[in-house]
Amino acid sequence: MKRLTWNTLLVRYPSLFALILLVLTIAVNFIVQPKLFAIDTLNSNMRVFLPLILLSAGQAVVILGGGIDISVGAIVCIVNTILATRVGLQGSPEAMLQYTALSLLVGILAGAINGFFVAHLRLQPIITTYATSFLYGGLALYILPNPGGGIPAPIAELYRSSTPFGIPLAFFVIAILLLLWGYLRSTRYGNYLYAVGGKAQAAYETAVPVVWLQFSTYVISGFMAALSGVAITMLSGAGNAEIGLAMTLTSITAVVIGGNALSGGVGGVAGPVMGAIALSFVQNIISFARIDTWWETLVKALIIIVALATPGIINLFRRRT
Amino acid sequence: MTLSLSARNIVKRYGGVVALSDGNLEVNSGEVVALIGANGSGKSTLSKVLNGVVTLDGGQLLLDGKPLHFASPQSAKKMGISTVFQELSLIPQMSVADNIWLTREPLSPLGVVSKATVFAKTEELLSLFTGMFKTELRPDSLVSDLPSDEKQIIEILKAVSFNPRLLILDEATASLDSRQVHRLFDLVAKWKGEGKAIVFISHRMEEIFQIADRYSVLRNGKTVGAGDMKDITEKDLVKLMIDKDSVFQYARSGTSTAENPVCLEVKDLRNQVLRGISFEVHEGELLGIGGLQGQGQRNLLLSLFGDIPFSGTIHFNGQPAQFRHPRQAMESGFALVPGDRAREGLLYIRSTLENLQLPSWARYGFPLKIDKAKDDAERMGARLKLVMAGLQEPVSSLSGGNAQKVVIGKWLMRQPSILLLDDPTKGVDVGTKAEFYALLTKLCEEGKTILFYSSDDEELIGLCDRVLVLHDGSIQTELVGAALTKENLIAASLGVAHGDAS
Amino acid sequence: MKRFSISPPVAALLLAVVLFLLSGLLPNGFGSDLNVAYAQAMNILRLSVFLGVIAAGQTLVIISGFEGIDLSAGSVVTLTAILTYVYVSGANEKVFVALLLSLAVGAVIGLLNGAGITYLKISPFVMTLGMSGVVTGIVIILNHGNVQGKIAPIMTRLIARPFLPSIPIPNALIIWLVFGVLMWLLLERTTFGKQLFAIGVNRVTAKLSGVNVNGMNLATYSLAGALAGFGGFLVVGNTGVVLIQLGQPFLFPSIAAVAVGGTLLSGGKGSYWGTMAGAIVLTLITSLLTTMQMPDSVRRMALGVTLLVMISIYGRQRALRQ
Repeated sequence: MKRLTWNTLLVRYPSLFALILLVLTIAVNFIVQPKLFAIDTLNSNMRVFLPLILLSAGQAVVILGGGIDISVGAIVCIVNTILATRVGLQGSPEAMLQYTALSLLVGILAGAINGFFVAHLRLQPIITTYATSFLYGGLALYILPNPGGGIPAPIAELYRSSTPFGIPLAFFVIAILLLLWGYLRSTRYGNYLYAVGGKAQAAYETAVPVVWLQFSTYVISGFMAALSGVAITMLSGAGNAEIGLAMTLTSITAVVIGGNALSGGVGGVAGPVMGAIALSFVQNIISFARIDTWWETLVKALIIIVALATPGIINLFRRRT
Repeated sequence: MTLSLSARNIVKRYGGVVALSDGNLEVNSGEVVALIGANGSGKSTLSKVLNGVVTLDGGQLLLDGKPLHFASPQSAKKMGISTVFQELSLIPQMSVADNIWLTREPLSPLGVVSKATVFAKTEELLSLFTGMFKTELRPDSLVSDLPSDEKQIIEILKAVSFNPRLLILDEATASLDSRQVHRLFDLVAKWKGEGKAIVFISHRMEEIFQIADRYSVLRNGKTVGAGDMKDITEKDLVKLMIDKDSVFQYARSGTSTAENPVCLEVKDLRNQVLRGISFEVHEGELLGIGGLQGQGQRNLLLSLFGDIPFSGTIHFNGQPAQFRHPRQAMESGFALVPGDRAREGLLYIRSTLENLQLPSWARYGFPLKIDKAKDDAERMGARLKLVMAGLQEPVSSLSGGNAQKVVIGKWLMRQPSILLLDDPTKGVDVGTKAEFYALLTKLCEEGKTILFYSSDDEELIGLCDRVLVLHDGSIQTELVGAALTKENLIAASLGVAHGDAS
Repeated sequence: MKRFSISPPVAALLLAVVLFLLSGLLPNGFGSDLNVAYAQAMNILRLSVFLGVIAAGQTLVIISGFEGIDLSAGSVVTLTAILTYVYVSGANEKVFVALLLSLAVGAVIGLLNGAGITYLKISPFVMTLGMSGVVTGIVIILNHGNVQGKIAPIMTRLIARPFLPSIPIPNALIIWLVFGVLMWLLLERTTFGKQLFAIGVNRVTAKLSGVNVNGMNLATYSLAGALAGFGGFLVVGNTGVVLIQLGQPFLFPSIAAVAVGGTLLSGGKGSYWGTMAGAIVLTLITSLLTTMQMPDSVRRMALGVTLLVMISIYGRQRALRQ
């Protein structure tokens, strides 16, 4: 019976680990940066974290459905380059709105292409989205071969200092995100998602529309990636065709530490969101620890590896007992 | 609610293998038709055609007299055909309730699933089987936590929740104990009265005679007989199934091996499934292992072979033989012929040569002497009367019986001293089975020892001198000689203790 | 999966020939000048060598199945190139040790990959991607300022130059051919090779037939790392220059080369000859684009599309409904 409860606990509350990690990282961050909970610092931190949070949420949905999306970082790049070139530093708010809408459509299209290859042609998700990541990355580079351009400073400023009702903008976005997920989870779509991710063949035999479901997860992921691209462009204010590439691995890491199984069918979105925030706080801690710039890349990479290894290490211990 | 479904001259091919060449079935409301056939006869394929999971390559399906074409399993469901599968179609990570109502969850406004209604409706379904559950089965229990008999019941409830016009029970009783089967049959009688049509696929004769009104027999992909149950006897049914006058005589060797030295000693074998198994095997003995499916037989064989960890002591020919990896077992003269040859015994896309030599490449030096390997493989193929296009052809091109020969051939090449067989004749045609039995008996005469798990009681009785019946991870009874009868086997399988020692 | 009457490696070679002939028709192409054509062909082949060697390790891990892949190959190439560069410092006698060093470093990184994949159950894609970040981090630390080093003359002679002035075949190509034969021996004439294909098809059957699956996994990834290290050694020997992004441009093409060559991305089937043909095809595509003066962005898109097309032809998984 003991084994039963462990299993059930992990399946029912997979984000427990992410929650613990989050609390820990906040605590350490607080020690290193005592002004952590001041409104300005909080706002500043959250707006930096938001792009990754959005990206991880989309990635979480794809992974729940049994797939994975390696092209999310590249989609972020495309959106950034579109905004940086089309709106430009002197652009108007209307242009910003127009091209933001366009970017979201581009994200949906990119996701649809992924979905077509994976869900309809039934190709392997990893290799397929790896291939499309090059396609999309190349497109971003084509649009903006050298770093430059950007969005108008006032718009970026809007993102940076918006505090509707006194709470940072980022919190609103996260809250809406979690509410939307909560709704989705409670519909039939939510059950389909977990069914397909859990055991696709059984889901098929139970008349779940597997192909359509998997296709939709990639569209969602593409959309979230585009949203993330908009956020990161508003954050940095500048254009860079490689801006999003490193985020792909981080989004996957966030999902893993969030308690989702990479094979699908287990977990949620709240866990990965917490995971993304925790990872971002860790990166914050590193900046404050003032490590030699030369060592920064290595340290960040090691943290990612440790984060990825942790579920595996926990499992190893579980099997020994 | 009345329905009449006919399948006529159905043809179905999987790649190069013809699973069905002339499948037929007629079923109407208010009756139970038994679809009977030996393993590999095409039973499962026909049922998959009937519920739309696979497409048919030839023949016709008629529903209420009109031709029918299923675009997907969904279409079949919409027409009122519901199936209880042999291989469970449940999602392990989801709860019982979620599994049952998947795609039909009752909704409240805004499209949110109404959890309260789901809970209530699931409880209603579960109440059909009250008193039959070992665990505290609730609608929110996770399927992965359930034992196999309860999973099977959930599968049945799921099919029934569609309120179908036609219910197909495909080996639905395989994992159930006798009380659960009894309850199921009560429910079947009730459903018959309500006008449902039922197709009952099974190889358990007693159950068929209990529940069915009519029968239809498949043999080697063809329907060879159909009619009313009251007009036929068990003997005649068997005759139709295997086309021989009586169940053919297994060549049981007359000599008793009880006098031979003990070669394998197992003491207190324990792990997550096995609860303290101890027994001895004599040299040259063909020891049978029986019992209902899932009682630990497979686990026992895999533990002996070093694939699953365990505690306890094992001695083979006096030497300690607790293996931690199949490689060690192999090098001590053990061989394991696994139950699911596609998933455990063969490398499907590789050549027959590579499959036969897989454990033995190290013998051919560096660089590998491929010609010598080919010669040795040819000789083994000839010895086993293997029918194949060539050694270089992928093993996927072979028929079921020949593929199984490759699985056993790969071990015979190593001259093992002891063979562990995990239900090896499942899905093997009758002719190959006969060759197989002759081979096993011959191996015993040569002094090899065999541990033989079979889910087929007739096989065990026909081949073995001694049978250990496992129940719930321990040895329920040992049946030897005169005590080795069908009744005793079945009783022991169900957990009833054997009266006196024999 | 569609059945072609010609085997994938041969199809790839034919594709390469067609592409090459097409390139001759371009403004900068060889037109009808055979001498120029020969020189260009040799150049393409010589360039393909490096991609081909780096793709060897990739071939092994992909054959081993279980979604095997090695995304750390690019960074390992960079690392071993820099180590060789710094260690050799122009001295011929140090070259052999540098080669051993490259193999050893690559093997260690590969072993770490293998361990994470086997014991911590991290998926190969994620593990090797993470490892590539770590290796890049190490490269940056080593590159602190500028690296001082130099390759030895013997390396240039053995790698970059032709065999003999009278035989205008680049040495690198000869090395590659020998390497190809050794790879064939490994895959088709050793127990390791047979077991590698076995675990690529079905790990359960392999284990139940006595194969030490975990051991094979570790060995495969270590070997792949060592081969990437060898690739780094060759690359720096050819160009004599090191960059932080030296190995990165080889990574994606190495995977595409394996796919073009017909090795199943799901594992259990394939050959190094196919990868060699694939490496030539990919080098041709890149070279064509350069000749047409297409920017790097177009090159990337072309590579992405090539891989997509290849897996669409060769990589269909089982349909849900049979």
